[in-house]
Formats: sequence, structure tokens, C-alpha cells
Amino acid sequence: MTWIDFPLYSGIIGIVWLLGLVFLFLSYKDVNKLKYALPILFLGWCVLIVFVGKLWMELDRPPMRTLGETRLWYATFLPFVGFVTFFRWRYKWFLAYSILLATVFLMINYLNPETYSKTLMPALQSPWFVPHVLVYLFSYAVLAASSIVAIKGIYDFYQESFSLETMKLADNLVYIGFAFLTLGLLFGAIWAKEAWGHYWTWDPKEIWAFLTWMGYLTYIHYRHFHSHKTKQSLTILALAFVVLLVCWFGVNYLPVAQTSVHNYTQQ
Amino acid sequence: MTEMFSQNNKRDFWEHPWGYMESFFIGTGLLLTGFLIEMFIPSSEEFLISYPYNVVFLGGYIILLFVAYIWFSNVQLIRWLTKVPASISSIVLVTFMVMIMGVVPQIPSSNETITFLGLNHITTHWAFLFMLFLFLTCLGLVTVKRILQFSWSNFGFIVSHLGLFIALVAGILGSGDLQRLSLNVYEGRPSFVAYNDDNHEVELPFAVYLNDFIIEEYNPKLALVDNISGDIAQNNGKNLYLVEKDETYYFQNYEVYLKDYLSDAGKHGEKYFFVNEVGSPPAALVSVRNVDTDSIIEGWISSGSFRSPFEALKISEDYSLVMTIPEPKKFSSNINILTKEGERINTILEVNESFEYKGWDMYQLSYDEKMGKWSDLSVVELVRDPWLPVIYSGIFMMIIGAINMFWLGNKINKED
Repeated sequence: MTWIDFPLYSGIIGIVWLLGLVFLFLSYKDVNKLKYALPILFLGWCVLIVFVGKLWMELDRPPMRTLGETRLWYATFLPFVGFVTFFRWRYKWFLAYSILLATVFLMINYLNPETYSKTLMPALQSPWFVPHVLVYLFSYAVLAASSIVAIKGIYDFYQESFSLETMKLADNLVYIGFAFLTLGLLFGAIWAKEAWGHYWTWDPKEIWAFLTWMGYLTYIHYRHFHSHKTKQSLTILALAFVVLLVCWFGVNYLPVAQTSVHNYTQQ
Repeated sequence: MTEMFSQNNKRDFWEHPWGYMESFFIGTGLLLTGFLIEMFIPSSEEFLISYPYNVVFLGGYIILLFVAYIWFSNVQLIRWLTKVPASISSIVLVTFMVMIMGVVPQIPSSNETITFLGLNHITTHWAFLFMLFLFLTCLGLVTVKRILQFSWSNFGFIVSHLGLFIALVAGILGSGDLQRLSLNVYEGRPSFVAYNDDNHEVELPFAVYLNDFIIEEYNPKLALVDNISGDIAQNNGKNLYLVEKDETYYFQNYEVYLKDYLSDAGKHGEKYFFVNEVGSPPAALVSVRNVDTDSIIEGWISSGSFRSPFEALKISEDYSLVMTIPEPKKFSSNINILTKEGERINTILEVNESFEYKGWDMYQLSYDEKMGKWSDLSVVELVRDPWLPVIYSGIFMMIIGAINMFWLGNKINKED
């Protein structure tokens, strides 16, 4: 099992999820359809997990090095966030969004065939590697979800159908996401100390990770003390996600990228 | 943003209590002052204070924060610093400075504006130091406030804020005491003269003797190159296949079968044989079948080394097959630490596995990359950071704060 099997697996997942989504949309008319939609979506997710698990075993290294591999993890975490949020808050639109976004990430991977490389440079061979990356990607998935809530909130605001429930959902997602973001940042610092002798070197990726952290920090502080000013809060939340995206993808295209140690995709 | 200020506009500027207008006014005023100082007195030197001055400074700063809060909290300035507008404006302004760092490479620049404004050395920039000081003072005061009004519902707030304060302050003040040296160790020779960041010699209180430097390598990779440009003609140079015996790979319309692979090879005539010599490169025998014409080309390829030239196999007018230089999988140094007391401590240094001796953390840094696995040089990094336990305690408190936050969510946040 390697990326060679990816088109097959992603094809199966795509078809299963599409079917699940159809049932999910039908359930807006007929609630009974929901009992088909959920197991079908869950089945697609299980197939994805099987693929990730087998890929990991085959590669002999954690599949977390390249952008394509991190997209795969992202696609795995998003449905999880979607399911949990659904069971807690009963938002069907949110579940549909997380599944759709996961599908988009699988599609990007399908269109950009990824590395078959089994090599992993010595610096990445550390017990911190897996927790550092997993915690980060989980956090990114949750925070991406919160930004969608923000956009929906802003939209509702103009439709004058805004509900405070939306704000509660955004807050919960940001709190969970921010907690994991903090853990990812600190794990990274501890690992850097173990591997390179210093916990913080203002590496471009570190800088943008710090900026992302500060962005969500601003949101949390603003929310905490101005809970009635929802529109401004939502705007901050949407902007924070832009910084997160720069941190994840954008850094590689900035003039500072040349000085980064986090650039593992070039060989 | 306009709505954010609208509430403040109902009252006069500088009317108590100060809001966002005043906060950003003070903050940006301080920021511009920093830039002005930077233009006239550029701070090329790093801001470093070392023991015992940093400890004195830290003690004084903390006492000042307590005194300010306990006895002067009715002073407008102190009251303002403990309020949210000051916190948020300082967060935003620090973010602004760091964002410059995230866009402008922090290396010497030929751009005059960048050099004039000092944008390529933000960490030593006056404006950055001022913003950090404002940020830390806000953070310190709100932490003092909550500590003095302690209740268990404040626990998460205190650990996260205090943790961040400790980690940042100890990181900044501790950098003056941080020593980072690099030591070149050659096989069979004790070394005790290391070099610091400024390339000054530093004599160590012990010597390091390299018994053996060991590299494990991955197999080399197989690549298709364009005969004219010399570029890798497949997947933009990514996703290359590992050379392994009996594997078959496909490149465009070529089927490549790896008949044989030798990790250490020497050439005799047209063929390669297994040899065990310094500088013997890996080589492989490949058989390439053109799927369209069914014609077969067979030959040896080798990545070469510092002693032998590389060998490519031309498979058509346009393309050749080559072997890349093997990537290291693991490298380590078996060393003895020799003390002045005549002690001898044996250990193995490896990437991600350091060794601590008398306050020095020793790291496997690099080796002679040109010599690759035959390198008899190992570069060891030595780091001494007496403030590390303090920083770790701050980080640990932040981890507890993060877990607490995850657990409680925003249950505690909505009073209204």
C-alpha cells in the first residue's frame, strides 16, 4: 500500500461521501434520511483511516513530512471535527462542510501525485515528530471550521438571521483549536531544544506560527470582554485564519522561505 | 473597526478610563519612537544582559509590577495597563512587528529603506523591544492582579498568563547567559577548543575524543534526466524511487528493472564489483526496456563519490538514467569525554539524542558532507543555558493552561 493505491481509495471515499451528502441534503426535507446519511459518511471516513494506517505501515516512517501528507491528515481530521460537532450541536450544514472540505483536500492530492519517498532526514526522526504534527493539524482543522462559522455568521448578520448559537459554536471551536495550537507550538519548542539545542530561533515558520497564535489570542481576548460586538469578533476570526493559511502554505512562497528549516518538501 | 471606536467617541479623547483610541495612540506613539531611535542610533548589537545583572533586573521588574499594582492601581496609567484595551493593542502591535519579521528576510539587505528602518533585524529593533516591554508589562500586571485576587476559578487564567510571562521574560533575559559553541572533533584526536557564534576560541573544561563517526544511509534514488538541460525530467525532481534490487519502475514509456545493486562498488573495465574501500560509491545494474519498440538497453549507473566519477546510462537521444547521492538516514558519534580529573565517560551522540554533562548539552550537529560516510570529522554543538529550567516551568504552566482551556471550553467566559 503506497500512494500508488491512492486514486482507488480516494475514488471509493469520494463516491461514498457523495452518496452520504445526498442523503444529508435530503434529510432537510425528510428527517428519516439522516439515519442513512450518517452511517454512509462514517463508512467513507473508515476507508480513509484504513488508507492512512496502511500508508504509515508501508512507508516505515510517519506520513507527515510533505504538504501532500499533511493534507491527507487534514482530510482525516475534518470529518472527525464534523461528526463531533454534529453530535454536540446538531448542525447538518457544518457536517456537510467538513466532508466537502475533506473531499477537496483528497482531490488536491489526487491531482498532485505525491511522494513515494521513504526517506526521512535524521532531524525528523524524533518521538516529538508525531505529536507535534498531529496536534497542529488537528488544531488547523478545528480552526478552519471556526472560520467557516465566522463566515456563516457574517452572512447571517447581513441576512438579519444571526443567532447567538453561531457565536457559541465559533467560541467552542476556537477554544479547542487554540488549546491544540498552543500545545503544537510548545511541543515544537521542546523538540527544537532536544534536536537543535534551542527552543526558539525565529525561523520563518515559527514566526508565522507565533503570528497565528497571536491572531487567535486577539479573538479570544476581544470575545471575552466584548461579547456583544459579534461582528467585529467574527471579522477578527476570519482574519486570523488568513494568517494561519500563510503559516501553512504561504510561507514557502514568501521571500523569507530560503532561511527556513521547516522546508522539507524540496529534495 | 469604526464601530469598535464608536463607543469611545461618545466621550472625549483622554477622558478616563482610556479606551482603544488612547491605547493605540500610546502604543503607536511608542512604536514610532522606537523607529525614530532606530534611525538615528541603530541597535546593531543584540540586547543582552548577563548574570548577575539580568537577575537583578528581573527581581526589580517583578517588585515594580507588584508595587505598581498594590499601591498605584488608582493611577490612570497603571489602571489602563490592566485593562483589555491596553492588552489587545499591545498584542496587535507586537503582532505587527513580528509580521515584518515574517515578510522581510532577517539578513543583510541591499535595499536602503529596509536598512534605514532596521527592518532586517527586528529582534534587536528598538520598536520591537518597546512593544515587547509594553506587552510584558500588561501581561505582568494582569497576572499580579489575578494572583492577588486568587480563587480557583482563576486557576486557568493564572497558569496560562504566568506561564507565558515566565517563558518570555526568562527567554529574553536568559539569552545573555546562553552559550552556544561548536566543536570540531576528529577521529583519534582529543579536542577541547570550541568556537562561539562570533568565531572566538573558547577553551572547554573537558576534552572530547571521537572514537568513531558512523553514518547509515538510505539507498540512492533513481532519476531520469534531460540530456540537454541536465534537469531531472520527472515530477519536478520530487518523488524519486529508491534503488532496490529486483524492483521495476516505470518512467514514461520505459520499464526500468534493477538487476543488481552494490552499496560499495569499484569499477574494473566496464563492470562494477563489490569493494570495501574508502570512497567507493554505490552502483546498480539496470535493464531499460522501451515499451513502444521493445528494445532493451543494459548498463551500470553510479552516483559517484569524492573519489570516483558518477556514471549515467543514456537510454535515448533525450534522456539518461542517473543515481542520486545517498541521503543520510542516521549519523552518530561515539565519543569519550575526558575530564581534568582523569575521568573518561563514553557516550553516543546522535541527531535528536543529546547528552548532558556538567550543565553542557551536547548535540550531534554535522560532519564533513563532502566525505559523506567516510567523514572522520564530527561537529558537536555545546549549549549551556542556565535559564532553561525557568523557561521549561513557564512552558509547562502554559501546557496546563492549554489543557485546562480545552477541558473547560468557554463555559467560564460568558458572564452576560
